[in-house]
Amino acid sequence: MLSWIIFLPLIGAGIILLLPKDNPRLIRTVALAAALADFLLCLPLYAGFDATTAAPQFEQRFAWIASLGASYHVGIDGISFWLVLLTTFLGPLCLLGSWGIQKRVKEYHFSFLFLQTGMLGVFCSLDLVLFYVFWEVMLVPMYLLIGVWGGSNRIYAAVKFFLYTMVGSLLMLVAIIWIYLHSADPATGLRTFDLLAIYQSAKPAFQAQMWLFAAFALAFAIKVPMFPFHTWLPDAHVEAPTAGSVILAGVLLKMGTYGFLRFAMPLFPDAAQAFVPVISVLAIIGIIYGALVSMVQPDMKKLVAYSSVSHLGFVMLGLFALNAQGVSGGIYQMLNHGVSTGALFFLVGVIYDRRHTRRIADFGGLAKVMPIYTTVFLIVALSSLGLPGLNGFVGEFLILLGAWRANPVYAIFAATGVILAAVYLLWMISRVFYGKVDKEENEKLPDLTLREKLTLYPLVVMIFVMGIFPQFFLSKMETSVRVFLESMPR
Amino acid sequence: MVNLSDLNLSAFLPEILLTAGLLVLIIAELVRGRASARGIGWGGMALLGLLIVVALTSGNQAGSYLFGSLVDDGVAVFFRVFFALATMLAIGISLFTFRKEGEPYLLLISSVLGMFLLGGANDLVTLFVAIELVSIPSYILAGYNRRDPRSAEASLKYVLYGAVSTGIMLYGFSLLYGLGGTTSIPGLAAAFAGSAGSPTIYLIAVGLVLAGLGYKIAMVPFHFWAPDVYEGSPTAITAFFSVAPKAAGFAALFRMMDVFAAPAVVAGVDARFLFTVASALTMTFGNLGALHQTNLKRLLAYSSIAHAGYILMGFAAGTFEAYQAVLFYLVVYLFMNLGAFLVVDAAGRKLGGEDTSHIKGLGRTSPAMALALAVFLFSLVGLPPLAGFIGKFYLFSALVKENMWALALIGVANSVISLVYYVRVIRDMFIYEPEEAKVIPMTAGLGVLTFAFLIPTLVLGVWWGPLAGWVAAAMR
Repeated sequence: MLSWIIFLPLIGAGIILLLPKDNPRLIRTVALAAALADFLLCLPLYAGFDATTAAPQFEQRFAWIASLGASYHVGIDGISFWLVLLTTFLGPLCLLGSWGIQKRVKEYHFSFLFLQTGMLGVFCSLDLVLFYVFWEVMLVPMYLLIGVWGGSNRIYAAVKFFLYTMVGSLLMLVAIIWIYLHSADPATGLRTFDLLAIYQSAKPAFQAQMWLFAAFALAFAIKVPMFPFHTWLPDAHVEAPTAGSVILAGVLLKMGTYGFLRFAMPLFPDAAQAFVPVISVLAIIGIIYGALVSMVQPDMKKLVAYSSVSHLGFVMLGLFALNAQGVSGGIYQMLNHGVSTGALFFLVGVIYDRRHTRRIADFGGLAKVMPIYTTVFLIVALSSLGLPGLNGFVGEFLILLGAWRANPVYAIFAATGVILAAVYLLWMISRVFYGKVDKEENEKLPDLTLREKLTLYPLVVMIFVMGIFPQFFLSKMETSVRVFLESMPR
Repeated sequence: MVNLSDLNLSAFLPEILLTAGLLVLIIAELVRGRASARGIGWGGMALLGLLIVVALTSGNQAGSYLFGSLVDDGVAVFFRVFFALATMLAIGISLFTFRKEGEPYLLLISSVLGMFLLGGANDLVTLFVAIELVSIPSYILAGYNRRDPRSAEASLKYVLYGAVSTGIMLYGFSLLYGLGGTTSIPGLAAAFAGSAGSPTIYLIAVGLVLAGLGYKIAMVPFHFWAPDVYEGSPTAITAFFSVAPKAAGFAALFRMMDVFAAPAVVAGVDARFLFTVASALTMTFGNLGALHQTNLKRLLAYSSIAHAGYILMGFAAGTFEAYQAVLFYLVVYLFMNLGAFLVVDAAGRKLGGEDTSHIKGLGRTSPAMALALAVFLFSLVGLPPLAGFIGKFYLFSALVKENMWALALIGVANSVISLVYYVRVIRDMFIYEPEEAKVIPMTAGLGVLTFAFLIPTLVLGVWWGPLAGWVAAAMR
């Protein structure tokens, strides 16, 4: 079941490889069908999910390389469950949003579906080798997505993205090997890569934990990205095609925060505890720095990209508050960010398709020309800045609550980020949508097309649903979060 | 009086068969002349294929024979299979190039005899003779493009450097003989087991042997010949050089490992330290050298220097697992490196050259070949789920187990550096548009060979258990 969900996109990619190059419509349809089918496959997961246990569900396990103790072991708990849903939910929307891509259609859809399998694999893996394989597999399609279909400076951005992530992941590999060499399967006593077995075994000594945590944390911090490892992100985001940015922001960045939650923190709890001040301070710097840089961006896409740095800072702050509110808020904010920032990137893409510019200064008074677009943009922006009733508020509120309980100073500083978010988003909106239409080119811009509506409306619906019924989501992750916190030192 | 049955010649069967087959092919070449040049190649491949089967079914009696000059054990079998396979596939690549001459095939096969002997060498003298037997055909092969001055230069460089390094190695051997009183490798190992006699002289001897063999494997700082020779030789021959004679050097090191294990420390320096430094230097200089190459053959030459450095990590760790990792890596390297050269060779023949500019937009014009090269290069980087990742994984595991953090981190840093130049090739192929519409036509032979390299590179990345098991069994 879970394996089908992971590998269905790859099967779709295989089919696309066999399709004729000169029929882009067919290729698009097949890709969309595969992504949509993948999402539908996830719905039974929801029905069958048992929220009362933190043990992995829908588990599948086969011996892989028995002599090495590596197995194909997948399963999801209350945390990864939502990230799998988010990934498969955004997948078809991205494909719909990039319907207009004309360049190398076949390769584009192949890469995209390949990437999808890699991401789902990361969220489901319960074996360190398997996890590492999926983690690295994502790099190549993402490199191609940025490098082939990106903007003018795309090659530089693609290589930067590739190198940054590779540095982090190789150090993590060394740490994984160390864990393996010091592991013992409780059942057999042999070395193992199985995450559940490693969870149960004795934790390494404090000194070793610090080094291992640092190696893992670097890999994940680059991916998140945390200040000061964030410099690849604006380049990659701005140069990537719209759907690439969406998937990058929506899902790929979550791999980093998820990695902390699933690997770095529970495997090395004492080190995680010791690192709390460092990571919290870096997270707060990220929140404020990201917001300040966003404020002065002349380019809408860059503005959204830097706002990601700020939002992910909130997530990290929440996770490292190490209490129920903070952690569930962090996870909730991961989902929020996927939906809201994903939508923002789509919206920037819509206007870029029409005008081939993203400079804020090139617009003005769009509210009169494109009323539906303006409404959607406003809703999404308000959700992103945390207006009560919309999804962003729930996440940020929980995080700030958690942070306050951990250390009020953190919460006070982080709260300024909320205010700054309101400033940069509302200031951009006022410049882009209000005022007079002072540019001739903007007078006859068409409003959202049907395809664009189909892409954006599901996201808008999710923004409301997640804002009004948070309990619906939080209840599923409650047990997993509680068990996670129990594994942390008091 | 020596009784023939004491010689235990049954273990020598693959070598005897190889020699007989080689003689038949030489006569066939003389009789038929140029008319059947490629027939010689096919015959050679068939012979080597047969030898793989014979090597796998015979031998493994775990004992020394021919008066202790050779040993028949699992590792000897492993190397026989490895060298026969590598040369067979290299001949496959050569079939595209050498259509009118049979000698290159004969030279390739005759160097296999030296490699077989190396794989089973049990005595310094055998080891030395075997190395020369590998080298001499290589010198001729390097100069095989007679009209190309670069090829002649390559050959001359190869010979001169080779002669010097052989001398250095022999000097090292003589010191070892002086210390241990025997040329037998197990004898030396036993003599040095307790103490190395004079640690200083012992370490000098180890250093000299390492330098001599280091030339074979293109180890920094004895690597200067490699880029020139690799660039000047015919591409198919370069492919062979980058794998088989290099692995022969590693086979020699492998056979010597017990001799290197003596407890000798002078001023904090021991044999492991020498290997560690050699490994770190080799991979770092190899990768840095590759960074600004625009000729793909030169790029792969530097990359193969770097890979020698990765393999040396295993020798530096020096544990049972580490040597297992070395053997495993050699197999993986065989497929991915020959595969990369196959595509470069095809590009050189059909696109007019091996510069990066020639493969611009290859992803558009010849997607299958471009995709294959991408897989080989990513495997060389060590990206999962490809075979190269598993190979590196085992090597790193061996280091981490020995707590050799510094070397492990240098290895990690090198993997990142290597990514830069490999990805540059990928970029040229897939991101840039083609400048001219030349394509690599897909022939049946090219397709079959591509898959012969591609399938192991992919499969060993996700299902390497049987190979790891075989290697472990060979070591036992």
